[in-house]
Parts: sequence; structure tokens; C-alpha cells
Amino acid sequence: MIALAVGIPWVAAVALLFLDGRRRWVGWLAVTAAAAGFGTVAALAALVVVDGPREVVAGGWPPGVGIVLRADALGVAFAVLSSGVLLVALAQQVIAGVRSRTFPALVLFLATGLTGLFLTGDVFNFYVFFELSMIAAYVLTTYGGRARQTGGAFIFAVVNLLGSFIFLIAVAAIYHVTGTLEMRAVADQLAVVEPSTVILIAVALFVAFGVKLGLFPFHFWLPVVYAGARPTVAAILGGALANIGSYGVLRFGAGLLPRELELGAVALLVIGGASIVYGSLQAVSRRTAPEVLAYSSIGQVGYVLVALSVGGRAGLAAAVVFALVNSLNKALLFLTVELRGWLVGAAFAVGALSVTGVPPSAGFFGKAALFRAGLDAGDVAVVVLLFLGGALSFVYMFQIYQRDHWRPASATAPGGSSPLAARAIAIGLAMLVIALGVWPEPLISIGEDAASALLGGR
Amino acid sequence: MRPTLSQAVARLILLPGLAISIATLVKGYGDAGDGFAAGVIAALTLLVQYVAFGYREAERRIPGLRRLPVAAVAGLARALAVALVPAARGDAILTHWPPPGDSPVRLGTLELVSAVLFDVGVFLVVLGVVTGAVGAIARAAERAGGRA
Repeated sequence: MIALAVGIPWVAAVALLFLDGRRRWVGWLAVTAAAAGFGTVAALAALVVVDGPREVVAGGWPPGVGIVLRADALGVAFAVLSSGVLLVALAQQVIAGVRSRTFPALVLFLATGLTGLFLTGDVFNFYVFFELSMIAAYVLTTYGGRARQTGGAFIFAVVNLLGSFIFLIAVAAIYHVTGTLEMRAVADQLAVVEPSTVILIAVALFVAFGVKLGLFPFHFWLPVVYAGARPTVAAILGGALANIGSYGVLRFGAGLLPRELELGAVALLVIGGASIVYGSLQAVSRRTAPEVLAYSSIGQVGYVLVALSVGGRAGLAAAVVFALVNSLNKALLFLTVELRGWLVGAAFAVGALSVTGVPPSAGFFGKAALFRAGLDAGDVAVVVLLFLGGALSFVYMFQIYQRDHWRPASATAPGGSSPLAARAIAIGLAMLVIALGVWPEPLISIGEDAASALLGGR
Repeated sequence: MRPTLSQAVARLILLPGLAISIATLVKGYGDAGDGFAAGVIAALTLLVQYVAFGYREAERRIPGLRRLPVAAVAGLARALAVALVPAARGDAILTHWPPPGDSPVRLGTLELVSAVLFDVGVFLVVLGVVTGAVGAIARAAERAGGRA
């Protein structure tokens, strides 16, 4: 089942390389494959939630020799979300018309990389799938083919190759210290090593994932890339690819290096707080929707870090829930940004409300979980940050809403309204955000499960 | 005008280079070597042809050189098939035949194991991607007005 979840998009991606992705039927074939992959991951998630984690060792070798694929609550939650976002973004691009031969195949390669990454139990395989997704993403960022996209893609590739390189050094260091790459064995070994040795590895990992997430001191590449890329690609980057960063920080920080995470809690709080304040202030001062959303992303990932710094079961659960909701919001907003017509404004408003954390949207529960974690820990700084960030996000989200959706249609979109199917997808996503806000049980319980999977790893 | 000496060397090493790479590929299970190393050796041998003759002449001399990127995709498909077929039969992915402990079928000194099939895929991927990338760069450089 786990192998199938990774295998379906992979085989489909290879097959699609032979076909011309600009043709409509090829595009729909890719959407079908992405949907099949998404279905498998969702079924896997249902199994994991009911029966607990599942594991496959490649080649039937004993664990420790063979490569381990493992699906636990944390992994499947991110896998379901990412393949869902990719499916939706691909469908919307196919409706609008694909203008590059390889676009559908690349999206499926990205789906393969992300699914593999979230479902692997091996540090080196994590790196391999990570590179597979990144390479697909580098090429996807050039989609559109104008100077703006190519320039953005160049910056994206250079900065992130540097991040990948730092991550590879950290993997080598982990192997040097522990003599194994299997995640559980690594966690056991690292727990008995001097923290002074491990803290460097922890910092290298943090920098690598910080670059991926676009956290405050490593954010400089993000606005150019997100604002330059086509909206579907930006949705893929913000809604699916950025999950690598959140997942990595959670898995490696809370799962493999819990002691070092506690040691660095203050640093995480400071960096997270700086991201929130910096991202929000920049977003308020920007004029075009993609730019505002890009800076808003920098601010939003800060919350994940703040939740991690609070730590404990409540903090981790809040980090997971917030990361998931944030990706969903970003996907919805970026996909809606260029659409015009009936109900599109409403879909955008739902996304905007969810970012600011107003009920009944999913964002409310992300913020509420964070808030409770902060109150439980008696952390005044966290609560103040949440208020400040929330207020600023309210200002910038409704600035764009006013500018883009309150003007007469002719002033913003000379082409009239967008295709009905594209709008239906955006509205469907918006309904999902509201549904998760009205009935947040599944979201909260998967957050709790993921937190116990992380804590139970020790 | 390209140097005669490097052309002569390129001509001389073409066949031995390919032979060594294939030996590295198939001997990888009893001796040192594997699909990746074999792919790199073969690709380097072909790159010497590109450097010595220029890409037009190299592609004229070696039929099929232009088509190698397709081989990369085929190789990827093949490696994936070897990895996933056991899953369809109910085993873990990447389960190889024969299982550990059994003695494989021998063909002279060659051992026939399914891991070789997987490595042939890896070999094709490495070879196709490297030659494809260099060919693309050569064409782009020529379009930009540089010397191909």
C-alpha cells in the first residue's frame, strides 16, 4: 500500500514524459493519475488513523539493512494534504490550458517526491526524495518561460541547492555520529550522545529547513520566486512544497532531536516571532496580491516555529494543525488570485478569513490550538505575538480583497470572468476550508495523533 | 579546426571505454561496480567524442547518440518496473530474484540476478541524462553564437 502510494505517481510521471503535455487528453490523464495517487494516500491515511503506523522494508530485508518506508499519522497527514494540493493545482492548470510539454509529468514527479519524503523512515531516502521534489520544483518554477519566471527560478535553484547541500552535510554528520540512517535508530542513538556534538547537526538541519520554509533570516529568495511564478506554480510551492520545511522541522526537530529542540526553544521563539512581525509588516506595505501573499507566507510559517518552541504535546499538535491549515490557505489564495467572476471574491474572502483566523474557517482552529498551547505554557510572548500577527494579517488580507474584488470587474480583469470549472475548483477548496472550520474534529485528532507519533518515537 | 591528437585518442578509447563500462555493469554483483559507475564511465567516453569532434560530427559518427535521452526515460521505467513488480506479487518492493542464499543461474562467469535488470535501468538513466544535458548545452551555445 505504501509502495503503491509512491509508485502510482512515479510510473505515471515516467509514462507522461513520452507524451506532449500540451494536449488536453494528456493533461486529463495526468489529473487521473494524480487523483489515483491522492486516493491511495487517503486510503493509507484512513488505515493509519484506525490501525496505527504501517511499515514496509524494501526487498524483505531485516530492518536496519533494507530501506524502510513507514507511514505514521504525521507523515500521512502531510502526504494527503500535499497530493491533494498538487491534484487541485494540476486540474486548474489543465482547465486553463497547459503551455509546456512537460508540466503534467513534472507535477507528478513532484507528487512522487513529496509522498516518498513523508512516508520514508530513512534519513538518506528522505534526502533522495527531497532532491527529486526540488528538481521537479526548479523546472516547474520556470513555467511560463518569461524572463521573470526564469530569473525567479534561478534564484530559487541557487538558494535551495545551498539548503540541500547543508542538509546533506547534516545527514553525513548524523551517520558519522550514530552509524545508522534509520530514523528510529538515529533517534535512539542521538538520545545518548553529548548534546554539544548534536547541536551543530541540529543547527544545520534547522538552517536547511529554514531555507525551504522561507523563515525570517533565510527568506530573501521567497518573495521574488512566489510573486514571479505563475499562480498555479505559486500554489504548488506554497501549498505543497513548503510542507517539506514544516514536516522536516517537526520530524527532525521534535522526532529525532527533542533535547536539542528544548535547548533551542528560545532561539526558535525569537526567529519565529521575527518572521511573523517582518512578514506581516512587509505584507501590509505591498501592493499586488502575489507579493502580499508571498510576504504573508513568511509570516505564517513563523507560527509553526513558535508552536514548536512551546513544545510538549499541545505545542506539537498545534504546530501540525497550523502547518496543515496554512498550506491549505495558501493553495486556495494563490489559485484564486487570478480568477475573476461570480463567487470568486467569496472564495478569496474565505481564504483571507482563514489566514486571519476568523471562525468558522479552518484557520480559526489553527490559531486556537496555538493560543491554547501558549496559555497552557503560560507564555506571554506567544500570546502577544499571536494577537499582533493576527491584527496585521487582517489588515493586509483585506487590503488586497478591497483592491482586487471590490472594484468593478472591468477595472481588474479585461478578459471577463474565468472558466466555470476553474472557479468551481477554487470554490470547492473554499468550502473545504469552511467545512474543516465547522467540523474540525478530524483535523484536531490528526494533530494529536501526529504529536503522539513524534513523542512516542523516543 | 580541432586538434588531431585528441581526435585520435577519442577514436581509440571509444570502444574500449564502452566495453569497460558494460563489464562494470554486469560484473557489479561479484566484483566492484554497479549501474551508476558504469553509466558514468560510458557517459565520459561519449563526452570525449563530443569534445574532440564537436557535437554535430560526434552525433554523425555515433548513430543513436541523439536518441539517448529517450533511453534515460526507458531506463527509469525499467528500474521502476523491477522495483514494483514484486509488490504486485505480494512481496516487499525491490525483492530480488533469486532470494539471498540461493545460488543464481550462471552463464560463464556471469550471474543472472534480477538486480542486474535494475542496474541496467540505472545505467541508462545516467548515460541518457548526461549526454542529453551536454547535447542540449552544445545546441544552446551554438544558438547563442558561440563555438559548438
